[in-house]
Amino acid sequence: MTVNVTSVIEKLVGGQRSFESVGDSVKSLIENINEAYPGFSDQILEEGGELRRFVNIYLNDEDIRYLDGLNTELTDDDTVSILPALAGGE
Amino acid sequence: MAYIPNEILQAMVDHAKDDLPNEACGMILIGRSDRQMTVHRVTNTAASPYRYEMSPLEMMKLEQKRDSENLDLFAIYHSHVASAAYPSPTDVRMAFFPPGETDNEPMFPDTYYVLVSLENNKPDVRAFHIKKHGEISEESIESEN
Repeated sequence: MTVNVTSVIEKLVGGQRSFESVGDSVKSLIENINEAYPGFSDQILEEGGELRRFVNIYLNDEDIRYLDGLNTELTDDDTVSILPALAGGE
Repeated sequence: MAYIPNEILQAMVDHAKDDLPNEACGMILIGRSDRQMTVHRVTNTAASPYRYEMSPLEMMKLEQKRDSENLDLFAIYHSHVASAAYPSPTDVRMAFFPPGETDNEPMFPDTYYVLVSLENNKPDVRAFHIKKHGEISEESIESEN
């Protein structure tokens, strides 16, 4: 499947904005990316294994928090986007 | 010094007013060769008067637009509806990835953070850089066309 990231996260995956990877769930995809790029999952997941609050993962155009979270199933035809939040406020 | 034309300043103020009572947010892109600026409104998914969270998908699409159209990210802007045009502790914390890791390089070290305050009758627009260790550096805005 295709994985898209933005400029902030591309540094964690060898400087690429888009690459191919595999996994039958979001969790296994992250594990596979982490094998290729050690340290990746530490930036994406909390110590307890949950998705960090300010990281967003989309399956195609759907936020996985509204699907089945890290257990969301994936197929080879999917596009997954891993995007940090840009946020703030008074 | 940040050069920002009047019409771009006005477009950000208009956006801030349009999105009241909530904070507004967006990006200014600039052509690498012609230095033309364009304002891009981004949905505040937090939809709150106290905070903003830019729609991640819209941000990604703007980043793809930057790549394909030879543009740079000139500024990230948001409004403060009832406080000064100055980065809040949350703004500074969220300028880093992971948030609050101010010993890292900020996410956008060369990009201006523009704040639009609607606290007073006359909107106030100011520009900053947020640097490593959370240092805030104000950059004066020059807007003569």
